Amino acid sequence: MLSLVNFTNFDFDQLFAMSDDTNPIMMLIWIIPIILFVFYGQRIQLYITSGEIKKGIKKLEGYRKESRNELIDYVTKNLKSNDDLIKKIDRFLDHFTIMPVDMDPNGIVDKVRHTVRSREDYTREQVKLLSPGISDLELTKVQTLLEIASSLQMIYKIVNHMFLTAKKQKNYPLILPLQMLLPFILEQAEAMKEAIPAFKSGQPVGDGIGPMVVGKMMLDCKKETIAFQTVLAKTEFENRTLFLLKAEGPGSTVGRPADALETIVSSNKLDVIIMIDAALKMEGEDSASIAQGFGAAIGGIGIDRFQIEAIATNNNIPVFSIVVKQSVKEAITLMTKEIANQADDVRSQVYEMIQENTKQGQSVLIIGVGNTVGVSQ
Amino acid sequence: MFSKKKITIAYTVEKCKKCGMLRKRKFTEGDILFAESSNCTSCDGMTSIEKIFGETIEQ
Repeated sequence: MLSLVNFTNFDFDQLFAMSDDTNPIMMLIWIIPIILFVFYGQRIQLYITSGEIKKGIKKLEGYRKESRNELIDYVTKNLKSNDDLIKKIDRFLDHFTIMPVDMDPNGIVDKVRHTVRSREDYTREQVKLLSPGISDLELTKVQTLLEIASSLQMIYKIVNHMFLTAKKQKNYPLILPLQMLLPFILEQAEAMKEAIPAFKSGQPVGDGIGPMVVGKMMLDCKKETIAFQTVLAKTEFENRTLFLLKAEGPGSTVGRPADALETIVSSNKLDVIIMIDAALKMEGEDSASIAQGFGAAIGGIGIDRFQIEAIATNNNIPVFSIVVKQSVKEAITLMTKEIANQADDVRSQVYEMIQENTKQGQSVLIIGVGNTVGVSQ
Repeated sequence: MFSKKKITIAYTVEKCKKCGMLRKRKFTEGDILFAESSNCTSCDGMTSIEKIFGETIEQ
């Protein structure tokens, strides 16, 4: 058989020529693949891309299961839980939130705030039902773990749905956005999965740099609860009144700084607001680098930022910010040494900012924005 | 395939309120930032937790 084809002696003229003496078998060798790619190219690409996406989905499924198991493990070990705990947790993980209609954006922020807060309140009540008599600290931890597990469940479900739909319809363009987004989704999901140990142990996370800075400034001051899970302290600095605001630690919460600001402004005249927060670093930027800027530095869905901006505008209060740059993963996992070491520097920059932007006798509000898990005051 | 496994170890840094001495130890459950921690080993003062952070090592 082998003697019929001599692989060492290809006649390229014959292979690519289209003259009368061209071997028809040779012609077919290069014409068939072209026809195949013209008619089935997308399907072949779909097949190749599917392999990569399947690997990603498998990872997401692993994260989902791991977070669920960690949550169940934590609740059963640490809390006096009711019966059919697993059933209740599973039911809760499938809960969804329907965001308000935004065809008419007028008043959308209030509607979003109402929906988000209703969900938070519901989650809190459900956790209390899981374990009656649970302490506030444990409650916030379980609530955060529940949010992580339900977010990972939702991510897995959406990605899997998009993949299966594209495969079912044999639609290659449908799978393209998923292929492009998957690395970013995986990065976020992996960060969430790795955040679990820090929240379980009540360790400060990168996002807690704001509360860490303000918490230390509050140490010897009298504190009062000014809004839900939010504390305020009043102190003096070079003949200026400082209002110090942060979420109430050491629970896992971000508090309600906008509601607190509303209360403070109703009975005090503020001249400057300074916000300290963690910010996502750009690729190429150094982690834990400090930057100063203008405007409300606060993340989340946007309801707090909207409220703070509205109050600042109505009362003509300039808003300054100091941010500590970090990656998504650093922001929600155990605080790195580099970020922790920046706390003193940030604090001295806050005092410099006060000296530069206020006069004696004026009032400044300093807000430590972020999750205050493991950070007291 | 050949990347080393990364492990993050949590540490707590305590600072004596009296003599200012810093002591780094492994994080233990219940450590909270700025909370009073233990007696100072070099004087009779109390220490408070100054920092809690993680250090990543490759294995």
